[in-house]
Amino acid sequence: MTDSYAVDVEGVSKSFGAFKALNGVNLRVRQGEIYGLLGPNGAGKTTLIRLICGLLAAHAGTVTVLGQRMPNVGVLRHIGYMTQQAALYPALSVEENVSFFAAINGADEGVKDALELVELYDRRASVVATLSGGLRQRCSLACALVHRPELLLLDEPTVGIDPQLRVQFWESFRRMAANGTTIIVSSHVMDEADRCQRLGLIQYGRLLAEGSPADIRAQGGSQNLEEAFLALAGRKES
Amino acid sequence: MSGHRVRAITRRLLQGFRRDRRTLALLFVAPIVILGLLGYLMRGSTSSPSVGIANEDSGPLGVMVADALRHSSRITTTDISAADGDAKLKDGSLVAYIVLPSDFSRQAQSGNVAPEVHLEGSQPGVDAPVLQALQQAMITLASQVAGRNVNFQPQIKYLYGGKSYDTLDYFGAAFVGLVVFFLVFVITIVSFLNERSQGTLERLMASPLRRGEIVLGYMLGFTVIALVQAAEVLIFSLAVLKIQNQGSVLLIFGMEALMAIAAVNLGIFLSMFARSEFQAVQFIPLVVVPQMLLSGIIFPVSTEPKALQYLSDVLPLTYAVNGMRDIMVKGADLTWSSLQLDAGVVAGFCIVLIAAGTATLRRRLG
Ligand SMILES: Nc1ncnc2c1ncn2[C@@H]1O[C@H](COP(=O)(O)OP(=O)(O)OP(=O)(O)O)[C@@H](O)[C@H]1O
Ligand SMILES: [Mg+2]
Repeated sequence: MTDSYAVDVEGVSKSFGAFKALNGVNLRVRQGEIYGLLGPNGAGKTTLIRLICGLLAAHAGTVTVLGQRMPNVGVLRHIGYMTQQAALYPALSVEENVSFFAAINGADEGVKDALELVELYDRRASVVATLSGGLRQRCSLACALVHRPELLLLDEPTVGIDPQLRVQFWESFRRMAANGTTIIVSSHVMDEADRCQRLGLIQYGRLLAEGSPADIRAQGGSQNLEEAFLALAGRKES
Repeated sequence: MSGHRVRAITRRLLQGFRRDRRTLALLFVAPIVILGLLGYLMRGSTSSPSVGIANEDSGPLGVMVADALRHSSRITTTDISAADGDAKLKDGSLVAYIVLPSDFSRQAQSGNVAPEVHLEGSQPGVDAPVLQALQQAMITLASQVAGRNVNFQPQIKYLYGGKSYDTLDYFGAAFVGLVVFFLVFVITIVSFLNERSQGTLERLMASPLRRGEIVLGYMLGFTVIALVQAAEVLIFSLAVLKIQNQGSVLLIFGMEALMAIAAVNLGIFLSMFARSEFQAVQFIPLVVVPQMLLSGIIFPVSTEPKALQYLSDVLPLTYAVNGMRDIMVKGADLTWSSLQLDAGVVAGFCIVLIAAGTATLRRRLG
């Protein structure tokens, strides 16, 4: 039953010209799950996330989000998307940016909560152009979750975030997931991968392996997730 | 100073151009387009103004002067009756008409001729050939009236403008609107490209925003800026430069608002065809200069070569400029059919551009 899945990707392929960025990817994410997308640079993680929120159309296969075939404008208000590069308006202040994204998603309250979550409430008046890279990343996250979406798509959210805050981020992710928010997060960082309930390994546009961190360890034949990952990636390539 | 490092910079620049075919094409196409247009406009122009001749002279000399005018290479003439003259100036079919009064032959015999010259007056540059052609005809006349010095004192009457009306009045009326049009166009195209390059457009597309909402939001925002700018330009033009204005300031404002809306949507539409700010900047000469040349700002559309007139007829700016001049120079209000047409066409262009801007704003990235 598709309805029990928040995200259901079936046999999706996507090409840019002659280049196959995604090749027959199947992926199912249950509601309230934290799903980690792992894979080397250029594997197709961003492309997959864009397909899930309907920014790209698949050449083959279907994407179903919250019971609706994508692309679908109606579903978008329930999705929060944090892009890989911190996409913000540099001339606006932190608070103005967050308020803007709240407004276009039809949720005007929640700005303060979002700012407190990313610990930017004290810096809310700072102009984004003057922020450091990590602070921008935090502002970008606040913009993605200010409207309390049912599905959060986070494309490498913790790049440039200091270790203490990273731990706090994952705490909040877990709390949101416990409240029913589905989270798909791409990452290169293995200790983050360990915090996901399920992982998908992508390489060359294919889903190589899928399962809980324990499953991946077993499949890769190593107690170390990174080694297991490298073993899986290397095995399929040869 | 290291030649090696300087070369590295030069090489990097040229390598960028090699990939950016569009920039390269524009760099070499734009000057040819602009210079070609200018050449065609100036050399190929059919700039002999249409002049009506009303010969009411009961004597023989009027016929002779009319004949001399007809053969003048400076003007194109048609025979009219003096009563129709003003109507023909108003509808634009004539830029001037000359009345030779019923006692013209008698005046000539007595040595003082005073033909009436009625000028439309809003277009500088066309008055001179009319007066020169008449002067020439008078020389012919003088040679016929033997033994007498004929004193030539044309009675010049202006329908619009008048003696104090100068080039600045003529260009000012058009530029008041133009300045706003081009500046708004530039800021729209650049800020829309920023939206694309800083990644926020991707975020907007992944939000429940509809394309129409984005276009409308942009339109309102920049129209507000444009109107503040228009107010400033208008106050400066009227109070400091003392450009003549016969019409209602509110109408000028309304026309400027329409032009701003057209400019915003033109900017959104064209930004879809540029991948970088670098490329967008190059749309500016390609969009701005031909419109400057062809919309009748500098060269009246009626004096352009026929082929270019067709082009002028489809440019929104032609109508906008014409409308601004009608209001400021001629004191037109909304009961004038010419102003209704101009405002209607500019509004129509706005609608087409809004649709085009919305249509090019695709939700999907690929
Ligand atoms: N618009 C595009 N046109 C052409 N190729 C593209 C386009 N978008 C992505 N690609 C290619 O598709 C492949 C997958 O890209 P994608 O951005 O999904 O990788 P990724 O897994 O997110 O990598 P990273 O970890 O570096 O972010 C890459 O080889 C990339 O060059
Ligand atoms: Mg990526």
